[in-house]
Amino acid sequence: MKNEITLQTRREFLRTTVLGSALSWTVPAFLANTLTALQTEAADSATQITTGKDATILVVLQMAGGNDGLNTVVPYANDFYHKARPRIGLNTQQVLDLNGEIGFHGSMKGFKDLYDAGNLAVVQGVGYPNPNRSHFRSTEIWQTASDSERIEKYGWLGRYFDNDCAGADPTVGVTIGNQLPEAFFAQSPKGIVLNNPQNYRFESDAHPKPGQPDMTEESYKKLNELEMSSPAPDGGPTMISEENSGGSISSLAAGMPMQGGRAIDFISRTALDAQISSDQVRAIAAKVQNQATYPGSQLGNSLKLVAKLIGGGLPTRVYYVSQGGYDTHTNQLNSQQRLLGDLANSTKAFVDDMKAQGNMGRVLVMTFSEFGRRVTENANGGTDHGAAAPMFIVGNQVKAGLLGKYPSLAPEDLYQGDIKYNVDFRNVYASVLETWLKTKSAPILGRQFEPLPIV
Amino acid sequence: MLKPLSESKWNYETAAHLLNRAGFGGPPSQVEKLADLKHDQAVALLLDYEMVPDETPDPDWAKPDPERMARLRDIYQHGTPEEKKAAQQAENKQQNLWMLELRGWWLQRMARGPRPLQEKMVLFWHGHFATSTDKVREAYYMWRQNELFRRLATGNWGQLLADAGKDPAMLIWLDQAQSNKQHPNENFAREVMELFALGEGHYTEYDIGQSARALTGWSLDRINQAYIYRPFLHDNGEKTFLGRTGNLDGDDVIETIVAQPQAARFITAKLWNYFTGQYPTDELNTALAAVFRANGNNFQPFLRVMFRSEEFYTADIIRNQVKSPVQWLIGSVRMLECDLPPTLVSYGMLRQLGQDLFAPPNVKGWDGGVTWITTNTLLARYNDAEALVQGTLPPLTADDFAKKPGGAGGEKAMKFLQNVRMGGVNLEKILTPDERDSKDTLVASLQHRLLQSTLKGDQEQALREFLDAKTQLTDPDIRTAIRLVMSTPEYQVT
Repeated sequence: MKNEITLQTRREFLRTTVLGSALSWTVPAFLANTLTALQTEAADSATQITTGKDATILVVLQMAGGNDGLNTVVPYANDFYHKARPRIGLNTQQVLDLNGEIGFHGSMKGFKDLYDAGNLAVVQGVGYPNPNRSHFRSTEIWQTASDSERIEKYGWLGRYFDNDCAGADPTVGVTIGNQLPEAFFAQSPKGIVLNNPQNYRFESDAHPKPGQPDMTEESYKKLNELEMSSPAPDGGPTMISEENSGGSISSLAAGMPMQGGRAIDFISRTALDAQISSDQVRAIAAKVQNQATYPGSQLGNSLKLVAKLIGGGLPTRVYYVSQGGYDTHTNQLNSQQRLLGDLANSTKAFVDDMKAQGNMGRVLVMTFSEFGRRVTENANGGTDHGAAAPMFIVGNQVKAGLLGKYPSLAPEDLYQGDIKYNVDFRNVYASVLETWLKTKSAPILGRQFEPLPIV
Repeated sequence: MLKPLSESKWNYETAAHLLNRAGFGGPPSQVEKLADLKHDQAVALLLDYEMVPDETPDPDWAKPDPERMARLRDIYQHGTPEEKKAAQQAENKQQNLWMLELRGWWLQRMARGPRPLQEKMVLFWHGHFATSTDKVREAYYMWRQNELFRRLATGNWGQLLADAGKDPAMLIWLDQAQSNKQHPNENFAREVMELFALGEGHYTEYDIGQSARALTGWSLDRINQAYIYRPFLHDNGEKTFLGRTGNLDGDDVIETIVAQPQAARFITAKLWNYFTGQYPTDELNTALAAVFRANGNNFQPFLRVMFRSEEFYTADIIRNQVKSPVQWLIGSVRMLECDLPPTLVSYGMLRQLGQDLFAPPNVKGWDGGVTWITTNTLLARYNDAEALVQGTLPPLTADDFAKKPGGAGGEKAMKFLQNVRMGGVNLEKILTPDERDSKDTLVASLQHRLLQSTLKGDQEQALREFLDAKTQLTDPDIRTAIRLVMSTPEYQVT
């Protein structure tokens, strides 16, 4: 029980903070720390110990399904490329040229503008050793930053939270969507998930007169106070101690439910996070206006919400958004046109919004996809699962341009028909962690990966 | 291992556990009925469902329609762009209506049908084979696959794999219908091993290439809307797959896969997880796989051993599984003895909670377990509870319905919702006058019905305080109390 703190005056204590809601008598250390910090800094409720209002922010953008990097950053002057892709290869007229050899897919005008403005870096040929062609396994590898052969329990961002954000409030990580990405799985789970701020609340049926308490809502809050279940009947671990606080999440990391910890503990913790963050998020969403026009797509809407939350001063270090549909086995030309156009336009709008807010200097956007696709097109006007592909990094301080070198497409340089990687994605993560989030990357990535000059 | 549960441990709690897991739960009267039987009889009542007639009629559009398919093909091939567009729009509209009807049809079977375990298995197979209407785009095919899962719900593993692989929905979903000997498509070949039958690490990339060749020829007759074998697409060359060599075809591939010892381990572990919320230890998995193989890879006898076993009723399993959104909705309706919300509302709720039936997020299906629970989905569950109990509309928005945010379907659904009426809970049905006579009996009764367990002390205290603040217990107050019990972490597990 050494990690527990008893808070006997919790009610008065909480009344002085942004939380305004009751917690249980005993709370785990990480929360207690937060509360203490919040109390001392109650003058500015949005200020956090680890996440000052002016801290840098990382926006991770997942391109789910395996984006075809070759038709995104197109080597349109390369003969091997056209030989491998007689039907879906893009020619000079279909790309936005960058250097006379390589061009962005024609739909990516938004990216071209960012590139020209010096706000966008393309890291070429990113992958990892022994590439896996399964969507799920490869996604897991990127999310946990593991070696190809090794299963990691926690996500790379989760490990960042564990290492650097102890005591931070739940909104230190915000996922726009419905599911917590594996990258956020952590020993001390952190991060909220939301998609629509209007619905991000407990709806009460009571309509009390002004000044009167809302009995339904009060009761809901009491019923959802954090309290850990009693130890398991076999005397096994519960989630009370920090050492074991990953009991549920560790099995969650394998995509699987509970092994060891009780499901109820995980839910109780989530219930508390929901209570804490709901008022904050809705207030910000109602107050902050977007200052750019976004596409009406899911990604557009997600980035629009992220921009609001940043503008409203939520103490978040990492936002996570995603765009699906990149698994283009058939008729790739149409679907990729739409997806990449959406990606470029949504990101451009987000950058415009950040600039208008004056927050562009604080924000870095990083894209990833679980793999690129096979060099040779298939029979259905599409491409099958492949390996290395480019990543995009967007920000004011990026080393803009094409970084690294374009991977060779010569048949003898391919591995089982796939592009070999030049850059391990963990070198990119290391750069982001060290130069952007200002932390040591080795404890998070398991060993030292040399940061690249990206930011 | 897997010894039958001792009869002395068969009681209200364990019976409720069986009904929750092997079905979708039910009101106290149903739990008591099970608890009054011997344990093996109770299991048989759920598992030997063939004895119980289920006379649910098929939707009237659920049959092949060669005429429509021929007409559409003609327009898509020879029509003017305007004609194509008009036909496409009409077709989309029709398919969307049918899909909504299909969702309602299935949810109704889960909520009110006479064979809960069969439907629970259909839900398992749907999550396992994880086929989405977003790509298949033909309600008849989605219904047909659903019926296939029902027909073979507790049948033979090899047959189910082969039949599911040859079913139109799967032929489209994993591109097998587009494969041919010149360019074998690897999608189905890969997933049948990785996700359906073996799991990663039990085959090589070489095996995928070889089996993709062997599977060529499995094809779809798009006019008659049925599987067809097309010899001219089949690669007749020699292949070597998982150690077997010859002019293998698709059936050989399935047969070879199912013969792997790993195939039995894989599917029994997944079933154990589905029904218990845990993954089996290696030792338990070995025992489960042995039972499965000894019974000819048939699911019914396997499930009987599983539901009978003492391992199924241990403390780390009972009330330690996160309810899936479907379990949450169907279970709530059954425990509250109220009607399912109108299909459009149920559909919106399930999408919001993260389980859009007939549209799983990807080939892997839903991750399940604690991944169902986020700050977002938890608040939505609490608010949907309000809707179920009070009979008000849940807070849904256009985006909960639209395929794409801002899509036209969302606004239309919202307009339609304005005229939807919800039922709410009939208190007379679920509370006797005695039960609502005092706050003590009321609180006890609600926990007994909704949790089959108790709240923690200070939670019960909070519920009491809520009721104590009321001078007289009105129906709305009791409804709010029910909703509050459903708005707890405890209600989200089963």
